[in-house]
Amino acid sequence: MNVRKLVPFSIAAAIVLAACGAASPAAPTSAPATTAPSAATTAPKPADTTVANPPKSADQVDALDLTGKNVEITFWHRYTSQNLTVVQTIVNDFNTKNPYGIKVKLENAGAGYTDVYNKINATIQGGGDLPALSIAYQNQAATYRGQNVMVDLTPFIQSKKYGLTADDLKDIYPYFQQSDKAPQFAGEILGWPTQRSMAVLYSNIDWLKTLGASEAPKTLKDFEALACKASDKAAGTYGWIWRNDASDFASLVFANGGELIKPDGSAYDFNSPAGIETLTMIQRMFKNGCAVELPKTEANGEQNRFAAGKLLFVTGSSSGLPFYASSIAKVEKPFQWQYTMHPQANPDKPIVNLYGASWSVLKTTPEKELAAWLFMKFFTEKDNTAAFATTSNYMAVRASASQLAIDKVKTSKSFAKFPEAAASYANQYSWIQYGAVEAPVVGYDPVRALIQDMVTKVGVKGDGDPKAALDEAVKKSNDILAEFAPKK
Amino acid sequence: MTATKIRPPQGKLARSQAIKEALLAYGLLSPALLLFLVFTVFPVGFGLVISLYNWRTGPNEFIGLDNYTRALKPDSEMWPALGATITYSILSVPIELFLALILAYLLFQKIRGKSFFRVALFLPYVTSTVASAAIWARLYSPDIGIINQSLSIFGIQPLQWLLEDKGILTLLANAIGIKLPGGLTGPSLALVSIVVYTTWVFVGYDMTIFLAGLGNIPGELYEAARIDGAGGWSLFRHITVPLLSPTTFFLSLITIIGTFKAFNHIWVMTQGDNGTTTASILIYRQMYEFQRAGYASALAFLLFTVILVVTIIQNRTAGRQVNY
Repeated sequence: MNVRKLVPFSIAAAIVLAACGAASPAAPTSAPATTAPSAATTAPKPADTTVANPPKSADQVDALDLTGKNVEITFWHRYTSQNLTVVQTIVNDFNTKNPYGIKVKLENAGAGYTDVYNKINATIQGGGDLPALSIAYQNQAATYRGQNVMVDLTPFIQSKKYGLTADDLKDIYPYFQQSDKAPQFAGEILGWPTQRSMAVLYSNIDWLKTLGASEAPKTLKDFEALACKASDKAAGTYGWIWRNDASDFASLVFANGGELIKPDGSAYDFNSPAGIETLTMIQRMFKNGCAVELPKTEANGEQNRFAAGKLLFVTGSSSGLPFYASSIAKVEKPFQWQYTMHPQANPDKPIVNLYGASWSVLKTTPEKELAAWLFMKFFTEKDNTAAFATTSNYMAVRASASQLAIDKVKTSKSFAKFPEAAASYANQYSWIQYGAVEAPVVGYDPVRALIQDMVTKVGVKGDGDPKAALDEAVKKSNDILAEFAPKK
Repeated sequence: MTATKIRPPQGKLARSQAIKEALLAYGLLSPALLLFLVFTVFPVGFGLVISLYNWRTGPNEFIGLDNYTRALKPDSEMWPALGATITYSILSVPIELFLALILAYLLFQKIRGKSFFRVALFLPYVTSTVASAAIWARLYSPDIGIINQSLSIFGIQPLQWLLEDKGILTLLANAIGIKLPGGLTGPSLALVSIVVYTTWVFVGYDMTIFLAGLGNIPGELYEAARIDGAGGWSLFRHITVPLLSPTTFFLSLITIIGTFKAFNHIWVMTQGDNGTTTASILIYRQMYEFQRAGYASALAFLLFTVILVVTIIQNRTAGRQVNY
């Protein structure tokens, strides 16, 4: 290859590309002004109300009229098997019953939340058509909002015509509603809680009894002691498993009385004494052989190992209940198990990690946005939320529906042999009041990766001082927070 | 018999014919050229533009070469990733090619069952990378993997394999009670475990190419050498190796490029943990985890530059040793 021949070509190419770069103005950044009236809003409405896209007030939402417009909306989700069946049933019900002729179309956008997130981001980047509705975690919704494609639901909720009554707002757990408020966007509500679960501790009750414990540990101290007592490296049994999940770290920080980020979303602060205690405990447990690391490639490994009697405790989502039930039912000697509130440093002041993706409305047209809201509202009506909760084992999002869901889980065939597990589902409703969310801010995903790497390095492998590692991780996290911060 | 002399067309006629031929050629080339422009040149050019912006899901601001200078800073994450990539390449390529050459040489002989062995060794290459990498990851599992279970039969302590970030030299030294200085840790056991998998996958492909190369060596050369009293080693050293050099050169070229671009199996097996964050893994994480499309594009162009430089150097040095 003659390199000399490449030189003039490279220079020419560089000039052309530089010219392209300089000449191409940041046109794609000039997203449509959020207050620009939409062409689709020319439907009959009070003459003095101009509807912005998205609507900025309850009055603007009230001014919309969907009658006879037969609006069709697409919902990007990740539901499969029985969860998809129940969602589809509710969609069908909505499509036939709603008086506006709205049609909701379900589209599977991937196997996991990350797939949906990547697809939305790719669509934003490629300038394609976004769905009117998508499933999203709070930080993901905040990221979309940062790209100016997310709709604040406040005007829809407050709408006299289409919104919720005071009774509705009281009935839908306020803690759930609170979790969708985005601190970086003046408390805008960027999602609606259609499903919620929480971080809990799964325990093998039969095994606990052999260790002399009559119940699952309530304190972190007892949790660690029992985990160590249960561990036998030679036999391949361990007290606890690190699943390479930042949410498990967050749950432990909460349990130690701490937080990941300040409530106003201004700075990460998990290098607090609670954070140090968490990482030190993980480091100590691994050093003493009380815990094991789950390889990232071992899908559902924690459930399988728990079912196989290789793990005493697992920190996991309460929505994993049916999967644990089916795994344990399949083993040769099924055992009694349950989940309890995650052990706390101070059980009198518990804090539990409230999980659950919400449904978020993306910017399309005010009519489609309203249609998406009406569908979400329908989905969270008493019977519908109870039906979805019963099937999925997420919590019903209305207090009035919880007993319905609890009764159905209690009488479910899946839990016939595991009454303690069925009782767990009922108990979790009383822990909602202690709920806290991780970090509903833009750029939390890379921070999660950073936390996972830190825990694996320092906690699992014992490589480094917890405080120094946390200080460094918080500094990096705050750099990311600043880098991703929405432009004022 | 009279010979008819065909005179080439001259003047206007010749020019017209040349134009027609050129038009025909360009016409025939144009579909392929169009596809090349749309699907290769444009994306590369667009990627270069992205690398000049602070670009997440869209362009935020033009920042010129900032992404490049950031990547080239001494404390940038690119250097360890490049180090891991080069280590992976240095470990993989010689082992892979050496084993492939030996196997090809053996299977080129008249031995029973050679067709079976050829197919068996080629199978990993045609197996889905994701599937086979996932299975190997399971084999490597410290607690439930068959490798540790097999080792325990011989009283060998279980290893962490893909979960191990310690260097293999450190592990070996620890096993015999020696403490090594910090700089002599060697590549992590996780990276070495991936090299083993890579060798398993690609050795069959390399062997097949070597077999084709061996088939092109004239048998008379061996015959003549044998008459002159050459033994097996001499035949291999003085005939096989030199005459296989074009094949070896080709394979080393594509194998080195392949190791620099390796992604799928590394992602499936470790997701870049424990010293296995190679350049491709870093680019992917920056793109999808950190949503830094501009920075990821800059890293991709830097990786391309490294591959280009390595290829040119290889072409200049190893290319001279090739006997065509």
